[in-house]
Order: sequence, then structure tokens, then C-alpha cells
Amino acid sequence: MTRSIAITGLRTFLGRRLAERLSAQPELSLIGLDRLRPQGLALGVEFREVDLTRPDAGAALVDIFHKEDVQGVVHLAFRREPSPDLEGDHELETIGSLHLLHAVAGAGVPRLLLGSSTMVYGPHPDNPNFLTEEHPLRGHRHAHCVQNRVETERLVADWSARHPACSVTVLRPCWIVGPTYGDAVTRYLRRSTVPTLLGYDPLLQLIHEEDCLDAFERAALGHHPGVYNVVAPGVVPLSTLLRRAGKRLLPVPPPLLYRLRAYPSQAQTGDRPEGFYDYLRYLWVADGRRGWEAFGRPLYSTREAWMAAVSAERMRSYR
Amino acid sequence: MSAPGDRDLWSEALGGLRAELRRRLGSVRAETGEPEDPEAGVDWVALVDDLRRRFGQLGMRERSGEVDDFGLDPETIRSVRGALGFLRERWWRTEVVGLEQVPDDRAVLFVANHSGLLPWDGLVLADTIAMAHGEARRPRFLIADWLITLPFVQPALARLGGVRACPENAERLLTTERSVVAFPEGVKGAAKSFKDRYRLQRFGRGGAVRLALAADVPLVPVAIVGAEEAHPILFRVEAPARALGLPFLPVTPTFPWLGPLGALPLPAKWVISFGEPLATPPHSPDTARDDLLVARLTEELRAEVQRLVKEALAIRQGVFT
Repeated sequence: MTRSIAITGLRTFLGRRLAERLSAQPELSLIGLDRLRPQGLALGVEFREVDLTRPDAGAALVDIFHKEDVQGVVHLAFRREPSPDLEGDHELETIGSLHLLHAVAGAGVPRLLLGSSTMVYGPHPDNPNFLTEEHPLRGHRHAHCVQNRVETERLVADWSARHPACSVTVLRPCWIVGPTYGDAVTRYLRRSTVPTLLGYDPLLQLIHEEDCLDAFERAALGHHPGVYNVVAPGVVPLSTLLRRAGKRLLPVPPPLLYRLRAYPSQAQTGDRPEGFYDYLRYLWVADGRRGWEAFGRPLYSTREAWMAAVSAERMRSYR
Repeated sequence: MSAPGDRDLWSEALGGLRAELRRRLGSVRAETGEPEDPEAGVDWVALVDDLRRRFGQLGMRERSGEVDDFGLDPETIRSVRGALGFLRERWWRTEVVGLEQVPDDRAVLFVANHSGLLPWDGLVLADTIAMAHGEARRPRFLIADWLITLPFVQPALARLGGVRACPENAERLLTTERSVVAFPEGVKGAAKSFKDRYRLQRFGRGGAVRLALAADVPLVPVAIVGAEEAHPILFRVEAPARALGLPFLPVTPTFPWLGPLGALPLPAKWVISFGEPLATPPHSPDTARDDLLVARLTEELRAEVQRLVKEALAIRQGVFT
């Protein structure tokens, strides 16, 4: 019997690549949902147009879920990086998730997989060195996309308590790097001279894009209710990461850096600079043990994932 | 915009320059006695590249890049070992008593009295154990929250084995077979004024004992005498400290009078005295939840550390001898 899984946010990196991977599975039909039709749709993925920001998105989703007899939903319709349109981001990420939750309940879909991020724990000086899944989600008050995810996670947790029939999996990957992945963070790390915070050198954690997809694939195919951090083993200080890539560090006193609103890498996020730079100031490393037990240990450690991304970048510069 | 023709012109000019350099430098090479190769000469580009690479490697060497999961960098520890050894042996003439009572085959929770603003006591204690039982047994010392927020201090302490004091961290360290040095007096201990320097403050809320019982590791009481004289706090100033985000600003005989020099510790004589591991009931999952037992053991531990402090004071003849 064929199962059917729906993926929201088909045009996001994770949505597209996860759809490609799952479409290779036998006995599985895939429905990809997004606002616009993606270019280069993977074979075996059926596209349906849904705009999660519309008030009638819930009803449209219920129709699709019923018609296709959807057995699982993978919710990945989040911004890859913050945009200056704060209202729009909120409408899509938080309210869009709410519409989706209503539709999942309305259509009686038994499984939901939510893609979140370890950024929801927030960078705080009083964080323990390893944040477990039970740690309160404090986010960062100046990072609006992180706040949207925190709110979404709260909505999902409340909703899940009221709908025990649906088993909910939440995956929280840390910053993703890899040969093909790109977002505001990788753009910042790709600069040849990287501004850092003078006097701070936090331990960072990265995961390779393929390892992250592995975890999502296994979570989508198996049955793993609960919350999991998806992180690579090992931590590396920011300065070591940058030096290994042969980059120049530009240590700037934090009060000065926080005033450089127009700094090129930060101007497009719509946030105050703290919303990003505090993640390079304090610790927010997550404990991955529960995820490794459920989905297997990642192939790349933090350092190897970073080196893979850097060497791909180097190769790209040769013509 | 440069046309392709311009580029050819440029490379031609550069080629000419290079040939000229080689012709003139050919004689230099003959004097230094290197095998002369009239065709090659000194390849300055390669030389500069080579030098840059070597300096780059030197730069890399100060950071090995291999930190463990709590940020300890063996390379940093190796590089400061000489300085730390000097401080311990020559500057403070540290005397170590009762080291044979410390188990060297398993993780241990050391509980020590705390004094001094900078965590010299934790650093020296960790170093003493690492010297005696090998680098693999180097304990991590827990550091107070307010030090964590300070720029420069936090990364440096983390590379040297300092870990933020919180139950999650200590538990993770102990369950992964790494010893921990805890200072249950906390900031109260660091802020002791000079007249109370040998009197122990309340031991938190029994967190250290609870952790040891839960992780089933021995609790070793330790007295560190001398750290309070390294930075004797005459009195505390609070108003200007708040503006800087510090809990208080210490006034010592040297700080702030001598400026940054005042951060140098005084050469008091140190005594580190280890006690016998505390007798705890046999391990069971319930012992850590028994609040009365935890409170009783915490008080026992405090009394034992206080006794060790008195004993250590008897070993010293004076503050500096």
C-alpha cells in the first residue's frame, strides 16, 4: 500500500532536498506544497499550490490532505533567513504554522514533523555548556525569525497536548553548512575578513547538510515522537573555524559592532545587529545525544562539516 | 575595464622585470654559496610565499583547534604550563598535603573553600592534580557566572579548563569520567573580606553533595590556604562596579592603586590540603533526592573543609613563609 507524505515549504533547501530523497523511496507518494511552483521539481513529487499566509490556507490544506489521504506532514515552510518584512515573516512562520496545525487536526493526519532550529534556545551567558531538549526556549528578543520559531514551537506543544492522536516530532538542527547550502550565516562566514566580537570566542556547533537531511529523512520515514536536537559531535571555537579557513578576523568591540546597523551582512535581516552577533558572543551549544540514538551519529563532525563547506567554496573559485 | 591587449602588455612588462631581477641577483646567490643556477636565480615570489606560509603556521600553532567538548585546549595548557609551574612552585611555594588520599582511578568531585576574585585556586588545584595523576585526570574547575560574561576572561578560562558552574555542566562532566572542582561558597566566598578570610560561608544549597550522590563519585574535601592573601580584599566598592556590570569592585593593597599591575597576585605561601573522601551511604537512585541526608552531608563537608583550613594554617608559619 502506498503511503503519502506532504511537505510544506517545498522551495526551501530542506524541503527540496528532502523531497528528492523521499521520492526515491518505494511505496511512497509525495505531495509538495508551496506558494509558487519550484523550478526543477524532483520526479515523483506532486506539486500543489498553497499560500500559508492566506486566511483560507487551513481549508485548502484540509482538502488536499483528504483527497490525497496524507499520512504524514513535514512542516518546513520557514524563512531560510530573516527578511526586513517582519510582519510578513510572522504571518508565514507563526500564523502559517497555526493554519497548518488546524488542517492537520481537521484532516486527522496521524504524523507531523516540524523543522525548527537550536537557535530557539538563544545565546545567553547563563546557558549550560550543552542544552538539552528540555531547556526553556528563550530565543533572542532581537531576532524576529527565531522568536517566530519559538512561538511556533509553543503553539505546536500546546496543540500536541490537545491532540494526542497525532504524533509530533520536532527536529532542531544547529547552523547548517555544506557544499550547496547557503543562508545569511554562511554568507557571513564566507567573507574573507570576518568581523567578530572583541574578547569573545564562543564554541560553535555546525552540522553538514547531508547529515541534517539524513536525520529529517529518518524522522519522516520512522516513528520518533518527541523533540530532538540535530547536531554534529564536537565543538570548535569561532576563531579556530575562521583561521582554519584562512580568513582574517576583524575583532570589533561589541558596543561598536551593535551600532553598525548598516553593516552589509546584517542590513537585510530587519533585526538589530544583536539579533545575530549575540550568537557569536555567548554559548548556545546543544546536546545531540538523544538525536544520535534515534537517527544515528552524523558522518561529519563540526570541524569536518566546516572543512567540507570551505573546500567546496575553494573549488568554486577555480575556473 | 581593461582590454585583453592591456593584460598582455602587463604580463610582458612583469616578465621583463623578473628577468632583470634574476640577472642582478645571480651574483648574490654565488656569495652565499648556494648551488648556482643561472637560469632560476632567487624566486622572490616563492620566497615571500614560503615565508608567509611559515608565519601563518606559527599563527596556527598557538591555537591547535582541537578543543574538547567543554572548550579545554591541551595546546593552551601546554603553553602556560611553565608560567603556572613558576607561580605554583616559586611564587607561592605551594605545599601539598594528603594527595595520597585522592583516588586516581576515577572521577572525583573536589569541594574546596573559595577566595580571591580570579580563579587562581581552581587553576592551581587542577594543575596539582594533573601533575600528580596525569593530564587525563585534570579536573575542571567551576567558575562563577559573573566571570563568564567578562570579555577575554571567559574564553581564556574555558581553554584552561574552567566551566560555568551549573548543575548540568557538573553532571555531564562527572558522568563522562572527568573530575570537577566545585567551590560551593560561590561569589560569597570570593567576596570574603580580609578579616573573614579563613571562615567558610554557607555551602550553597547542597548542590555539590546532590551531584556526587547522583553520579556516584567520591567527594573529596580540599582546603586551599594562600589564595586569600594573593588578592586580599580590604573592602568592596559597589556603585562603580555596577556600571561595569560586575558584582563588586575589590580594593586590595595593590588594586586599583597600581593599575593593571595590581592584578598580579602577592607571593603568599600556599598550602593545599586534601582530606579523606567523605563517607557517603551506598549508591542508590534515591539518596540524591533525600533532602535531609544531603543537608547533613553538606554540613559535614563544610566542617571538614573548615578543619582542613585550620590544619593548613598550622602548617604555615606566616603568610609569606
